[in-house]
Amino acid sequence: MRPSSLLALLASAALLSAAEDGAQVYNTLCVACHGPDGKGLNGLPPLVGSEWPKGPAERSIKIVLNGMTGPVEVAGMTYNIDMPPQGAVLSDEKIAAALTYVRDKFAGGAGAVTPAQVAAVRAQTAKRATPWTAAELLKAHPFPPAKTALKNLVGMMYKGEWKTLPDFSALKPALMEDFNAGVIDPAQSGLKDHFAMVWTAQFEAKEDGKYNFVFDCDDFGALYVGGERIAEIKGIGPVGGRRKEVPVILKKGLTPIRIEYVEFAGHEVVVLGYKGPKDKEIKWLSKTKANAPKPRVSIPIEAKDGVTAVYRNFIAGVSPRGLGFGFPNGMNIAYSADSLAAELIWSGKFMDGGHHWTDRGSGTEPPAGTSVVKLSADAQGVLLEGGAGSVQRFAREKQGNEWTFSAVKVAAEFKGYDLDAAGNPTFRAAGEGVSLTDAWIPEAIGGKPGLKRTLKSEGDRPVTVVLARDLASEGADGATVLGGSLSLRPLSGPQPKAADKLLTVTLKPGETAVLGYSFR
Amino acid sequence: MKHLTVIALLACVAGLQAAPAKTPKKGKLVPADAVKAAEARQSEFYERGEIPTPAGEVCEVGSIALLPGKKVAIGTRRGDVWVVEGAYDADLSKVKWTKFASNIHEPLGMFWKEGSLFAMQRPEFTRMTDRDGDGRADRFETVCSKWGVSGDYHEYAFGSDPDKDGNVWAVFCLTGSFHAHAPWRGWGAKITPDGKFIPVASGIRSPGGIGANGEGDMFYTDNQGVWNGSSSLKWLRPGSFQGNPTGNKSYALADFPAPPEPQSGSRILTERLNHPAFVPPAVFLPHGKVGNSPSGVGCDLARGKFGPWQGQILVGEQTASQVQRVALEKVNGLYQGAVFHFLGGFEAGLVPVRMDQEDGTLFVGGTNRGWGSRGSKPFTFERVRFKGRTPFEMRAIAAKHDGFEIEFTHPVDAAAAADVENYALDTFTYIYQSSYGSPEVDQTEPTVKSAVVSADGLRVRLVVDGLVRGHVHHLVVTDVKSKSGDALWHPEAWYTLNEIPAK
Repeated sequence: MRPSSLLALLASAALLSAAEDGAQVYNTLCVACHGPDGKGLNGLPPLVGSEWPKGPAERSIKIVLNGMTGPVEVAGMTYNIDMPPQGAVLSDEKIAAALTYVRDKFAGGAGAVTPAQVAAVRAQTAKRATPWTAAELLKAHPFPPAKTALKNLVGMMYKGEWKTLPDFSALKPALMEDFNAGVIDPAQSGLKDHFAMVWTAQFEAKEDGKYNFVFDCDDFGALYVGGERIAEIKGIGPVGGRRKEVPVILKKGLTPIRIEYVEFAGHEVVVLGYKGPKDKEIKWLSKTKANAPKPRVSIPIEAKDGVTAVYRNFIAGVSPRGLGFGFPNGMNIAYSADSLAAELIWSGKFMDGGHHWTDRGSGTEPPAGTSVVKLSADAQGVLLEGGAGSVQRFAREKQGNEWTFSAVKVAAEFKGYDLDAAGNPTFRAAGEGVSLTDAWIPEAIGGKPGLKRTLKSEGDRPVTVVLARDLASEGADGATVLGGSLSLRPLSGPQPKAADKLLTVTLKPGETAVLGYSFR
Repeated sequence: MKHLTVIALLACVAGLQAAPAKTPKKGKLVPADAVKAAEARQSEFYERGEIPTPAGEVCEVGSIALLPGKKVAIGTRRGDVWVVEGAYDADLSKVKWTKFASNIHEPLGMFWKEGSLFAMQRPEFTRMTDRDGDGRADRFETVCSKWGVSGDYHEYAFGSDPDKDGNVWAVFCLTGSFHAHAPWRGWGAKITPDGKFIPVASGIRSPGGIGANGEGDMFYTDNQGVWNGSSSLKWLRPGSFQGNPTGNKSYALADFPAPPEPQSGSRILTERLNHPAFVPPAVFLPHGKVGNSPSGVGCDLARGKFGPWQGQILVGEQTASQVQRVALEKVNGLYQGAVFHFLGGFEAGLVPVRMDQEDGTLFVGGTNRGWGSRGSKPFTFERVRFKGRTPFEMRAIAAKHDGFEIEFTHPVDAAAAADVENYALDTFTYIYQSSYGSPEVDQTEPTVKSAVVSADGLRVRLVVDGLVRGHVHHLVVTDVKSKSGDALWHPEAWYTLNEIPAK
């Protein structure tokens, strides 16, 4: 055998071996989430059709070495799932082989990755101990600017204060500039408030057919296609509720497009996109696309057939052991089993499970309703005379970046709750020598939908219950008005007392206090 | 080109090709294909049935409890508790569901006792009782809620069945699986019937389930990640350290001696010999080979009704949608043993594993929300029953001072079983380190010197040259058939040799 043919053989054997190794690594480790075909298993991010594995190898190498955390947009979908780091598991060779396999098979031949490239990134990021966020990676290794359908884009800027669209032909633009990227963005003006912009361009239709244009702005504006005004957003306001979607039939080729936009004050946003005859996703022509309705699932949780709804999960504004109850009359509370206090009260919709019940359900979920009043936050809601109490719990405190823990004594702790036939809760708490029940039922209070709360104590000493903490209160018509909107009315038993930013009621052993809550 | 260079190049190519897992000396075994082939034979031995869940409801099963009167309860990740009648019947299409409770906080571990359902919720251990007999719980008693909860989604709490004293054991996942942002994250504790909280073990990372063996010793699964080179089944010996020092911050709250401060980049064997409280994993479940995310821990005490696995541990597997089988033994005071592939083809990633010990029915349930799984349905509830035909399998492997003894479920064909060429053995371990996972390292290839078949044909005694203390011993048995000519259903085992027994 001649050396040259032997070399060729060797080279191909080495290549084959590397390719097999990459497939093996992929099919052992990556396949569990990204799937054998790279399309993502069961709602996990795909590699096929994604920008992420393409382009500079450094970005992909970083992801494999240290993992990723937090929300990430992949192929038009937002995922919030952690990718575990593989740097300690896989050698440079294995990472290079796996990425070469991925880029070859799922990223349209984005190019081989060498062990030397992996080694270089590994050395460069040696001090990095935490997973990357999408924002960090895109800042260091941005996606290439997409060429949009806007050709010959020109922007004009006008200074002034308008509450309706002005006649731009009568105004003199302060600046004219050419925008090669084909993306419109109010930030191109360099101004914050009281200005207007007009963009003109040729819209390139790739084929004949229906083009659905999406248009929205903060504050207002108009969209012209083929010289015709097809959409207008009127008045001062945010994006979202006024979004327009308008179909236009276009011929293949260039059609003039014009966007008029006025910013009064506050946020400056323009949203523009379209879906052509063959497009599955909206193609964006504006920098902002996040204001398109997210594909987030809404799973309303509500009282049904007169039975109060419950939601036990992490509720925003409530300490972690939160218990939400949504009553059939549109009143809602969140009680904390940590602090033994009703921490939130609100009206309208109860909770939406769409957040915690999809993906991994990270974070807290705010109440779905309106007029949320924060009665108390993360501080003991049951107090005993003469000191802290005798129930042992464990507390945490953040010092700098570190959490420290300690054993603490509190007056009482959560003992559970009962539900009546209509699902209404009676919370139970107990401490040394005392027990307390705290029952809530829906009932009209002062002619308004409200809640009747019955507090009852047993034991050998008085118990003080915190009704509100750090909340502005004023008296009106025999009621206390909390936070300007919630009316609290003593119905029977001992009267609430206000002192030191605390509104409390103290119960002697065997005593019962009945309180009515309603929104004004 | 000089010949020397060519040889060097050749050697380099050979090195590249030899890097993947060692192949057995005789026959061929591609692990993924072997598992698929085994799953295809499953229906010869076991019948798997999907139990229809309530129409229109999302039942991502996280807990399974057995109730009197052949009723079964499931707890879902969304927090609903449902009770089913008819889950044991031949016709599963007629099952009847009743809702027992709504939207409690992600129960992972549930059982029936003294007229109530008990559930380990994320923030508390709770007794749920239907006092008026309408089928719905109306009293929720917080038995214990002493552990810290920061609001992080990853702070899972898994609970066991009661032990012989009525204590329920719980394991508390680290914050985000990396940190301890609240008291007792990364710890195991037992909760007495009157609600006392007694910390029992530290060093936990990210559990997937907890359960006892036949002796009442408690085990949990811990997932690959920081300080866990691979996932494993771990023994919660009271007072033990399980290997992850992140939760050491809570030592100040415990009546425990000073915590081990282990060395990163070391080996478990080295560190546990330095720190006697450090209990090594009883059985590694090698990452990517046995599974990726072990979950529920069950035990077969059905006295043969589920097959000849009395006393063995059944481990759920979320990613691969499987159940693995673990045969444990105790050597020099530590648990160790072998893991075998067992049941597969489930419809979603498995979480709880629940054996009805009277009836021999195995119930499993699962979900693939947030973590992908081979089973492609978003959630599942299934039962598995033994058909009565015992597969030809390695039932168990026992360590000997100079090798192993394999116990088979049927007598072997003596000629093939006595051929040392039919046993391929390789060993490896993992780096014990603060970073995420580990490659397999320190590989060795012991030699099987002799294979002696017992008189009844049920045991083969392997004399091995080169056992390595602390290593996983990977055994592939090729071309050994039963006397009646059956091939092994699963020809592979991974034995974690924490200790080599004395002669």
